[in-house]
Amino acid sequence: MAGKSGSTPTTYSPSPATRKKKRIPIADADWVRPDNRGFYQCRPAYLKTGAVSTAAGSAYAEFGNTKVIVSVFGPRESKKAMMYSDTGRLNCNVSYTSFATPNRGQGSDNKELSSMLHKALEGVIILESFPKTCVDVFALVLESGGSDLPVVISCASLALADAGILLYDLVASVSVSCIGKNFVIDPISEEESYQDGSLMITCMPSRNEVTQLIVSGGWSTPKINEAMELCLGACSKLGEVMRSCLKDVVTDSKE
Amino acid sequence: MAAANGSSDLYSEMEVDAFRRLFPLRYHEQHLLKSVRPDARKLGSARDTTLALGAVASAEGSALAKIGSTTMLAAIKMEIMTPTVECPDEGSIAIEFHMPPICSPLVRPGRPAEAASVISKQLSDTILSSGMIDLKELCLVGGKAAWMAYLDIYCLDADGSLFDAALLSAVAAFSHLNIPVVSLNEDGRIVLVSEDNIQLKLEKQPVNTEKRKLKLNSPPFSLTCLLHKNYILADPTAEEESIMETAVTVVLDSSYQLVSLYKPGGPVHAHTSVIQDCVALAKRRVKELQSVLNEAISDMEVERSRLSLHHT
Repeated sequence: MAGKSGSTPTTYSPSPATRKKKRIPIADADWVRPDNRGFYQCRPAYLKTGAVSTAAGSAYAEFGNTKVIVSVFGPRESKKAMMYSDTGRLNCNVSYTSFATPNRGQGSDNKELSSMLHKALEGVIILESFPKTCVDVFALVLESGGSDLPVVISCASLALADAGILLYDLVASVSVSCIGKNFVIDPISEEESYQDGSLMITCMPSRNEVTQLIVSGGWSTPKINEAMELCLGACSKLGEVMRSCLKDVVTDSKE
Repeated sequence: MAAANGSSDLYSEMEVDAFRRLFPLRYHEQHLLKSVRPDARKLGSARDTTLALGAVASAEGSALAKIGSTTMLAAIKMEIMTPTVECPDEGSIAIEFHMPPICSPLVRPGRPAEAASVISKQLSDTILSSGMIDLKELCLVGGKAAWMAYLDIYCLDADGSLFDAALLSAVAAFSHLNIPVVSLNEDGRIVLVSEDNIQLKLEKQPVNTEKRKLKLNSPPFSLTCLLHKNYILADPTAEEESIMETAVTVVLDSSYQLVSLYKPGGPVHAHTSVIQDCVALAKRRVKELQSVLNEAISDMEVERSRLSLHHT
């Protein structure tokens, strides 16, 4: 304390005086979601490619309060000294801004999300199309409003397409939270904080193939099936939205 | 000279794009001869500038500034600190500038860009020394509690003149800042007061019923110019900055007084007259930026009154 006084005093953010302990009434039948959405209704999504002029490709995604920018650089020379490789390499990084979360964070790299993003995209990119080189996919979460990873993945897939990297298909990603007996799709942070389990699917809608499936918490088999069906349906819809976003850019530039 | 003639034939056969990449300096000098720049700007004019206030919902004050493609997102988070013994009635401001890897192909994860720490320092020097914010206004309870304003500026797209865009976003974020109403509880901690509770008078008197908005005294604005031979290029792009390396940044406050001036070396030695020209350009630019800021503020107020009409 004494050594660093003056430069960085210890601070705290003021908390609400009357702390609302609003545990979710699980058994309550007429519970509504905090943003008044239906249980199987996704947040309104806004997608745009070409957000960063200096990148080879980029995209901005806004799902409710979750706001993400992804830039793609390359194919370019790999900065890490690695062995010769016939196939290209994929390098992913996800970081948060210091104001992304309600309590000010450090805004550091998120290793876990970075590796999840890498695993979700690995199977989609035709790595053979750029041997010896590396494609960098960097994501910045401007604001975290829940379902961050699925939004980052979908946005990254748009950015890759914008950069002209060869893909087998776009990938769309959606998650579902299990709260009591109910499923809620595309959960916000508040819902994620009291979920009993979660399931996230990343899939290639037109090939009907799943690249990533993450299940956490306690699930019974029929419930997993039901949640998967729900996610896959939402993924194919999101895939269509993403596809039309890419098409709009082309038709706009033609006019 | 013969070599120059020989290569000029080569130039005429080359496509413009290839020429731009292979001989960037020649390419730009050809433009300068005609007093125009590759993006059709005049030498002394800046790119289109836009400003949006309140871009980040999770922060107390925020702004998104765009100068051409250069994009900056600034957000302020307010936290409570115990004032230092030396200045018991003053709050504090911590300013940090970030260049995440998304903003430029030159930045890689894990290795912070050199430019980021330089700009970070310049920004805090400029903002704190300009006297724009009276730190006494950030005081809550003398000697016990004061605001610490964490201002974080993220560069989302780095296309030159980063300092100018960062400073603009910082000033705009401060003008958007809404300080929450707080009160002091029994444990001596500062707690938030929600709007409903004020009306019901359930809680202790708030300590800051006033001072919800910071008063900005003569906010500073800046213009970066590149010097090349006898030319002065205002508001350079990243491409121009990479080719012509001598930059002069002039920071003026709203009454056109000089706050700071940076000329960090570079191959061109500037005459005093050139510096004066830069200051004159900056003066013109400050007028533009002031109207951009005022417009953004009035847009926000219109939006706010529209929203409050909806609620009633």
